[in-house]
Amino acid sequence: MRGKLAWAAVALGLIAPAAQAGKPDDTLNLAWSAQIENYDQYFNTVREGIVFAREIWDNLVDRDPRTGEYKPLLAKSYRWVDPLTLDFALRQGISFHDGTPFTATDVAYTLNWLADPANKVITQQNVSWIKSVEETGPFAVRIHLKAPFPAALEYLADILPIYPHDYYAKVGPQGMSRHPVGTGPYKVAAAEPGKSFTLLRNDAYFKESPKGRPAIGRIVQRSIAEMPTQIAELMTGSIDWIWQVPADQAEKLRQVPGVTVKSAETMRIGYVGFDAAGRSGATPVKDRRVREAIAHAIDRAAMVKNLVGGDSRVLDAACFPSQFGCTDEGVKRYAYDPALAKTLLAEAGYPNGFDIDIYAYRERPWAEAIIGYLRAVGIRAKLTYLQYAALRDKNWAGTTPLFYMTWGSNSINDVSAILGNFFTGSPDDFARDAQLKSWIETGDTAIDPAVRKANYRQALQRIAEEIYWLPMFSYVANYAFSADLDFSPDADEVPRFYAAHWK
Amino acid sequence: MTVETFSGAERILEPSAGALLRRRVFGHAGFMIGAAIILAILAAALLAPWLAPHDPYAQDLTRRLVPPVWDAKGSWLDPLGTDQLGRDYLSRLLFGARISLLIGFSAALISGLIGTGLGLCAGYFGGRVDMVASFVVTTRLAMPVVLVALAVVALAGGSLHIVVAVLGLLLWDRFAVVTRAATHQVRQLDYVAAARATGCSTARIILAEILPNIMNALIVIATIEMANAILLDAALSFLGLGVQPPLPDWGLMVAEGKEYMFFSPWVIAIPGLALFTLVLAINLVGDGLRDLAAPENRN
Amino acid sequence: MLAFALKRLALALLVALTVSIVSFSLLRLSGDLAQALAGPSATAADVEAVRKAYGLDQPLWVQYLAWARQALHGDLGTSFFFKEPVAAMIAARLPVTMTLGVSALLFALLVALPLGILAALKPNSWVDRLALTLSVVGQALPSFWFALMLMILFGLKLRWLPISGTASWKSFVMPAIALGYYGMPTFMRLTRAGMMEVLASDYIRTARAKGLRAPAILLKHALRNAIVPVVAVAAVQLGFFLGGSIVIESVFALHGVGYLGWESISRADFPVVQAIVLVLALFYIVLTLLADLLNAFLDPRIRVG
Repeated sequence: MRGKLAWAAVALGLIAPAAQAGKPDDTLNLAWSAQIENYDQYFNTVREGIVFAREIWDNLVDRDPRTGEYKPLLAKSYRWVDPLTLDFALRQGISFHDGTPFTATDVAYTLNWLADPANKVITQQNVSWIKSVEETGPFAVRIHLKAPFPAALEYLADILPIYPHDYYAKVGPQGMSRHPVGTGPYKVAAAEPGKSFTLLRNDAYFKESPKGRPAIGRIVQRSIAEMPTQIAELMTGSIDWIWQVPADQAEKLRQVPGVTVKSAETMRIGYVGFDAAGRSGATPVKDRRVREAIAHAIDRAAMVKNLVGGDSRVLDAACFPSQFGCTDEGVKRYAYDPALAKTLLAEAGYPNGFDIDIYAYRERPWAEAIIGYLRAVGIRAKLTYLQYAALRDKNWAGTTPLFYMTWGSNSINDVSAILGNFFTGSPDDFARDAQLKSWIETGDTAIDPAVRKANYRQALQRIAEEIYWLPMFSYVANYAFSADLDFSPDADEVPRFYAAHWK
Repeated sequence: MTVETFSGAERILEPSAGALLRRRVFGHAGFMIGAAIILAILAAALLAPWLAPHDPYAQDLTRRLVPPVWDAKGSWLDPLGTDQLGRDYLSRLLFGARISLLIGFSAALISGLIGTGLGLCAGYFGGRVDMVASFVVTTRLAMPVVLVALAVVALAGGSLHIVVAVLGLLLWDRFAVVTRAATHQVRQLDYVAAARATGCSTARIILAEILPNIMNALIVIATIEMANAILLDAALSFLGLGVQPPLPDWGLMVAEGKEYMFFSPWVIAIPGLALFTLVLAINLVGDGLRDLAAPENRN
Repeated sequence: MLAFALKRLALALLVALTVSIVSFSLLRLSGDLAQALAGPSATAADVEAVRKAYGLDQPLWVQYLAWARQALHGDLGTSFFFKEPVAAMIAARLPVTMTLGVSALLFALLVALPLGILAALKPNSWVDRLALTLSVVGQALPSFWFALMLMILFGLKLRWLPISGTASWKSFVMPAIALGYYGMPTFMRLTRAGMMEVLASDYIRTARAKGLRAPAILLKHALRNAIVPVVAVAAVQLGFFLGGSIVIESVFALHGVGYLGWESISRADFPVVQAIVLVLALFYIVLTLLADLLNAFLDPRIRVG
């Protein structure tokens, strides 16, 4: 059946005129290169999945990107009864896109379903803190936590959208991916995994929402693999908005009439990861001196100035500065010193360098710049460039000795979202350091902020001392869009189209 | 008696066969141009370490995307400009010639060995052997080459050896087809029958009698496959699954440069032009050889 | 004729079988499928359970037979990445690739046939040399480079054609040119050679002697005979276009089968890659079979061989 529809679509496309782009049509045409493999928020791992989710679904609370405070969204109010119990009073009179009313059952069902490991939600860290959720009234829920988890609100605000319970029970993740249904400012008109989606304004969206009322009538997204193609489309006006534009292209695009370019620092950090635990076998990076050599071999400041640009900064601690618990106090710094790097390599038994595989999934030119620096000290790194999902799988299987990756912490402004993911024994952990794990877990579950900070500080110092990671720099996101559009990027790297409007 | 003396004198005054050939070769414009270009590129490749102004791998992030010398912002320090990592383009171009020539030549050699071997057996032995060989060729033709090459490289890694091996193992079909047809023809000839009659071994007949006579056709095919191998390698690199950076492979340079093609067009224009020139030259030489070996085929 | 057709059909089936075996083995031998299926957070016990459940502990030929049996029923497996049935995914993207392939063929023929005919009518003239130069130059251009240049000129500077996507028929113009120009020289050479051979033949000379006017001779008789090899090659060339559209599809962001194949390779989504190799090979085999049968039908001499 789908095959026939596809033929019809092509046939119609061949005779019908091309759709108008932009303001005249009240249609915002977006393009990005990522492919969302599954529109169900709990089964995709790309940033663009979160962007999509914010338009279609609502969370219990919404964190204001500018002030950082939690605004009531689906919930009217919340209260910590004790460190293990969180109560929510929900709004009334909200409906899902399919007309069914929103009640406490939806919240309880969604969160309980996610917390069940048998349902295999992809990022378990996001949901593993929930023990159970009970309905305490038609519009009230109580969340029970397994252990104290102060970052709970952050997670609820960011990446835990609420699904309609009977619909989800009936169709499951596959059905939700094909026809997403939520309470959000936009509803889905069409969604093709990996290719495109079309959203229509939800005119019945509840007025009291802190997200505001959506202005643009229609949003159409296309996945276009090549950046030059995206830029060309933007310049001819068929596309109205693109992002992740490389720094030098962004500079040049600023001068193109009809195009606005905005840059914002994001919470995403780039880092070089090492298989310090030797999961991939006996690799040179198991030796701390080799890792230190690599740390001294890369001129991070030059990369920031010439490649990343904008407000990016060099980072020494394995976290983003604004995250709670992030500090570079007492964290060891490694200056750019290729001569020292060569000495260290010789000491470690590699006077003529060595060969190694390096993996990356984005910003290929930056990975190549790193390879260039390594080559200058004798390390011949061979690049394997994969899509994120494939590289993640290799990581989890422990077969990657050296990799350049990034982590946006899902825009969660708490160090637990980064350290908890990478250094507590999960498949992402290449350090396998029991002491480090214990500091982080203490920090994750302590109630007293001072205790949390102290433990995180020790963890960050340890990571730097052992060079389990070489943090590189913070990312700057460059957005380029039509001059007709009034759009403001936020630091959490989640473009909010429901807040954009035509000029 | 007088007639004999005249014809003898005429025969002495006629140009020799060698001279005739030389005249034809040098008179064939396409062949001469192609050969000249290839020799120039070969010379550039061999002399690269002395001709190149810089190390092709030396990156300098403060001198990224400097335009070539004829642009206002260019300089003689990097006559053809620099790429996105500040590496000198002229140096990369010169060293890249080595890689392109190496890939083209090696792949053509490997595929030539495989295809010729298959074609010789098919053409000489006929019957069942021929059926099997034709079947193998058809099967190979049925496979989508680019996809298979991509898949193998993705699995086995993108080193130079793997790419050459993959190309060699995929591009032998034309060799096989042409060798088979040519062997078939030559097999019927008198001196082959004579060789068989005198009891020469099969291997000896194939190698000593048949192979030299089909050499002309083989060399022409070799040039075609060399060009194909270079273009296919460029396509693989363009898709990210060919040779890996930082090798200065021309196809890879186009692939890396496409990100900057609107504002820094020389980054893809220059290696693209280089590829075009090399492949064009190889094609001209191939066409020229075909014309020279059998001029009647032209019309 | 029937015996010939049956023989060719049997051969085609055998080739299809062999291609499927080769692509199956190629991908199965590459890595641990059980690990990939079980997912990254699976324990060793989970992986073993998956291995048994999917029959991955069986010898390779048993696995192949199972896959073949499924494939014959139209089940080409499930994508690792999308978790959707592969057959449906391919069917959804096939129209784009077919449109691209056919357009490329039409473009190549539209340019090659007139040029070839003109060149045959006036051998060694400037038209002939132009045609020859065009074909030599055309075959030396790297396709992706040509595609990017076209995009800059017609898409960006002149704004005549859309740059990417499949919004209208215009979206296929540049891709068709970029894909089809490579096949143009072959058609041109064939047409030229075929026309010249026929024009010089006794058959035509007799017709001329009978007093038939030149254009009539040309169109009716010469062309019909010369077209035979072109048609056969056209079918085969279409098969090549379908199999070789990856680069063009990725540059112009056309979501066809080639694009899916490349994306799946970079995601290690092997069921999809395997199925696509098979489907494209089948297209090629069917087209070649049709070409063979057509050739035999039009030219009885071939049937005997």
